[in-house]
Amino acid sequence: MSELNHNIESSQSKETIALDQNESSNQANRPSVIERQTGIWRSFEELDNTDEFQKSLATEFMSSPLRLESATEGTESDGFARRDFIKLMGASVALTTAAGCIRRPVQKMVPYAKQPEEVTLGVSNYYTSTYFDGQEGFGLLVKSREGRPVHIEGNPLNPLNGSSVSVRAQASLLSLYDPERLQKPFRNLLNEKKTNKETVGISWEDLDKKVVAELSKGSVAILTGNLSGPATQAVVSDFCSGFKAEHYSWEPLSQDDVAQGQKSSYGEAVVPMYRYDRAAVIVSIDADFLGAWGPAIQSTRMFAEGRRDPSKMSRLVSFDSTYSLTAANADVRFRIKPSQQLDIVMGLIAEIFPENKAAANFKGVAEKLGLNSENFKKVAFDLKKNTGASLVVSGGLQTRTLDSDAVQIAVNYLNSLLGNDGRTVLSRSGNPHLSANYDSINMLISKMKSGAVKTLIIYRQNPIYTLSKKMGFHEALSKVETVVFIGDQMDETASLSNFVATDNHALESWNDSEFANGIIGIHQPLIRSMYDTRSFQLSLMTWGFMAKVGPARLQNYETFLEYLRAYYKNEMAPKLAQGQDFESFWNQILQNGSVGQIASSVERNFKTEALSLIKKNQKSSDLELVLYPTSHIGDGTLANVAWLQELPNPVSKIVWDNYASISMKTADTFKLKQGDLIEVTANGVIVKLPTHIQPGLHDGVVAIAVGYGRTKAGKVGNDIGQNGYVFATLENKTVLFSGASVAIRKLGQKYDLVTTQGHDSMEGRQIVVVATNKDYEKSKSANVHRHHTWSIWSGHQYNGHKWGMAIDLNTCTGCSACMTACRSENNIHVVGKKYILQGREMDWIRIDRYYVGDVENAQAVFQPIMCQHCDNAPCETVCPVAATVHSSEGLNEMVYNRCVGTRYCSNNCPYKVRRFNWFNYAKLIEKPMHMALNPEVGVRTRGVMEKCTFCVQRIKDGKNQAKTENRPLKDGDIKVACESACPTQAITFGDLNDENSRVAKTFKSEERSYALLEEWYAKPSVRYMSKIRNNDLETAHATGGDHA
Amino acid sequence: MFELSSVFSKIKSALPLILCVFFTFTLSACFFQEADGGKRVGIGYNKGYSPEQPLPFSHELHVGTHKIQCQYCHNQVERSKSSNIPALSTCMNCHQQVATDKEPIKKLREAYADGKSIEWVKVHMLPDHVQFNHQAHVQRGVSCQTCHGEVEKMAKVYQYSDLSMGWCVNCHRLPENKAPLNCTTCHH
Repeated sequence: MSELNHNIESSQSKETIALDQNESSNQANRPSVIERQTGIWRSFEELDNTDEFQKSLATEFMSSPLRLESATEGTESDGFARRDFIKLMGASVALTTAAGCIRRPVQKMVPYAKQPEEVTLGVSNYYTSTYFDGQEGFGLLVKSREGRPVHIEGNPLNPLNGSSVSVRAQASLLSLYDPERLQKPFRNLLNEKKTNKETVGISWEDLDKKVVAELSKGSVAILTGNLSGPATQAVVSDFCSGFKAEHYSWEPLSQDDVAQGQKSSYGEAVVPMYRYDRAAVIVSIDADFLGAWGPAIQSTRMFAEGRRDPSKMSRLVSFDSTYSLTAANADVRFRIKPSQQLDIVMGLIAEIFPENKAAANFKGVAEKLGLNSENFKKVAFDLKKNTGASLVVSGGLQTRTLDSDAVQIAVNYLNSLLGNDGRTVLSRSGNPHLSANYDSINMLISKMKSGAVKTLIIYRQNPIYTLSKKMGFHEALSKVETVVFIGDQMDETASLSNFVATDNHALESWNDSEFANGIIGIHQPLIRSMYDTRSFQLSLMTWGFMAKVGPARLQNYETFLEYLRAYYKNEMAPKLAQGQDFESFWNQILQNGSVGQIASSVERNFKTEALSLIKKNQKSSDLELVLYPTSHIGDGTLANVAWLQELPNPVSKIVWDNYASISMKTADTFKLKQGDLIEVTANGVIVKLPTHIQPGLHDGVVAIAVGYGRTKAGKVGNDIGQNGYVFATLENKTVLFSGASVAIRKLGQKYDLVTTQGHDSMEGRQIVVVATNKDYEKSKSANVHRHHTWSIWSGHQYNGHKWGMAIDLNTCTGCSACMTACRSENNIHVVGKKYILQGREMDWIRIDRYYVGDVENAQAVFQPIMCQHCDNAPCETVCPVAATVHSSEGLNEMVYNRCVGTRYCSNNCPYKVRRFNWFNYAKLIEKPMHMALNPEVGVRTRGVMEKCTFCVQRIKDGKNQAKTENRPLKDGDIKVACESACPTQAITFGDLNDENSRVAKTFKSEERSYALLEEWYAKPSVRYMSKIRNNDLETAHATGGDHA
Repeated sequence: MFELSSVFSKIKSALPLILCVFFTFTLSACFFQEADGGKRVGIGYNKGYSPEQPLPFSHELHVGTHKIQCQYCHNQVERSKSSNIPALSTCMNCHQQVATDKEPIKKLREAYADGKSIEWVKVHMLPDHVQFNHQAHVQRGVSCQTCHGEVEKMAKVYQYSDLSMGWCVNCHRLPENKAPLNCTTCHH
């Protein structure tokens, strides 16, 4: 098994690099490097070590005014006129001095007229709520200050997501305060061609009257996405029965491929729950379950559970065509094309069960497809060995080819053969409300075309953007007399609707949500409607009431809250209350955030007649298209949330763009370099995109992310990247996203793809440590290189607490939930693409992605890096004004009001975690976005350095609370923002002076732990634990031990 | 910003004058300051500040004469970093019955009846970059008068301490107070 995939050590040899600039690499200029750590690299620039790269290293800070990008800065053309600034500053100094003598500006204080019971000024309240993104539901704990939500975290009591929630759920906070959110109902005046002529306001009374008049004419259809709440579903079905309307449910990322496969294989159209924690071997065929497929946070949590102990961790095998987050975390990777998916599943069946007749045609698939057949056999062997404790998954846009159904059935067949069904595949436990499907939208479109739909209600779906032209939704829409859009943005679809019945934001509405079969949560509002808006449910109820149709409950209640409570009293309490009276049952759900037990599942019988459906339809082509959603942008609904656009793509680390990913070889063939604009043609659609060269991609693949290229998302989200959905096509009533033959053509233009990393060098030092399970068996500290250190410092005394952090690289999947949590908690500003290009991103925590091994088939490791709070902090000694100082608890403190902006500290920081405020970003925050700011953390101004504080406000809060309750602080009392957001619990924070704390134990006895740049003896308060790759390989010469 | 800049370019000729004023004040600030943050008012600190309030509320009457506890009205000070100005509903606890014929109380009752509030003028104000926690101090047994002075004798509230950083730190430094001296104690 020593040949599995690649050999980590030797793979870095320069011969394998196919880029021509390699020849020009100039090693003579490099400083001689001690113990060069080979095989790990972050960017091609670093790997190839070109002259250009060497030059860029010399400047260190990309944001030097001497650089070309900065040439226009401070001039009129940049928008910031330096002279004006100096003039203004002089004047403002004079003014403030004068103001000091004539007393400050008078401020007013306005107390409440009536004191609300639950509000204490300056103290946060936490409310349970829920969030549903169309695929995954989360139990939330939302922090509210004086009545406005300021931070979203998971509800620790929620059995599925715990204290972590997805990046998008966290960032949805910002959409509440989006200045472009619609503030009242609207009416669009459409011309004959049904394009928007003018948008005018309308009162709710007029809108209701007109809409009800239209609804009463009959032929009503309502289009929604997945509705995860039973009560909301009840409203919709009441409405439908009242108006004899038809309900269509569809989402761009619907999981109907999985449900359809389940139906064919077992007779029930369900989306199962996959137990990644119970599986010893997980095989994913293009299912990005750690990133954007299915309930990703829930899956990530389970996946991490199965890998926490490196001595018995699970093995993740990935066959992937996009280098997804799942692929990046795989122990064993195979790069494939979409057309190979079916061959691989059937090939595995043929390998495991050589006698199997259904798979007889698929013997020796690995050789045929050019995969490493020895590794392939090993995967088959592992699956067989772990019967009942293995798991094969597939699905998502990447698998929606002509073979989609066959792949799903084959995967189900394989799981059944392996006895996984009922053990790792739980059919009855998944979310029961994922009924959205493409058949439904196709049916709706054909009805609309035939004129059978007179009034169409669209709830928070954006088919004009997410459906390609071939689906024909646009033409069909013009045949509909009246379109009523219910949503909160004037998006692509809303602007073509006759009426926009503006919906509340989720944080303003009551709702409910079922997270998994049997676990139900109530969605509490966090704030009263900020504007003249009305919830979706209340709109339907109002129309039902006005037309006097539908069941009594639709007409009787004045608010949806009353409906919801009545529904829970009559329908839910008998099942779930366990004898409690309704009020205490209701309060219990609100208090805990959820109620109920996950339904149990049993093994099912695979219907062998389904095997006849396993036929290969997808033809292979030289270059195949793959469309995929990313974990941060998703389907593109939240494109106007700047936090999401500024968050680097977890794998490519590119911000504010999408691109066409191709492999290095393909780039060579077409003579393409990073950022070259190309014309991508597939299914008759042409789109111009910049090239991104992705190590580890199959040579026959062009991968493009969906969710970009919005045209009516708002000021932030408009025209970011290109729309990937346009490539989707319809064949035999099946929607195809991937597998199409694609042509690319170089256009000869350059485009700036902006990444947050890849412009500095590791200088061969030990920054990220990777070992394999075999190395780990030999020595737990495998590949960790320890140094003898000495210092002329006497060191600090820490008599009280001493804060520290431990980060397990083995469970970190790079999902970036921590980065968003940090941004929200610490009021970190968004700077935009232009300034990130100059290296001015403001993130206090970043996740560095390192590629490991073979350049063509690289694996990835993720490393979250924040201020290391060094004991011998290099930044502290160089600050001329003592603006960064050491605290008695080991924190490296940054005092903003002392900082004069010399940036010496940043220059001297070996970890490059300090961020400088080049402009007064806070002044650019448009109202009401300032309401999202955390009042416990200051907002930094221009000319000030900032960095991670270890969430000092949370430390103070925790200490204060313990003191108030007159008890010692317990380990875990203080949870920093990144720690609580982490779905894998890779980050732990605590007191190193408390012997029993988790961090103290890690620092003391965990053999995998190491300090970054230990040899510099900055003595960081953060320890990393090495990444273990469970691939049965051995690193060629493990360099453990130390200098002794 | 750009509109402002055009205004400033118009008064460019006045720039020397502005500079003169600026230097005069900077220098005079040095003369006024005392090392101990002592009795005389330092520039920029507002010790002694006593603005007119919309209603002539007298602490002397309420606290001094009627002996109402501070925390009867400022009831959140034990639980919160900020001490609250009482809601009108707190005033109305007594003024439903008491002194209802007096002019200011009539105003108060009208505002309450209309669901409106009173816009009090802020007396004690810290810069935005300072985080002060009332709860932590009250829990440690620091009396209100230590920082706010003899409020029970103030017919009209004024700022008793200068609330400068030196004044804070002087107290934190006393060994018997065992108070933290880290920068992030107040600044983050």
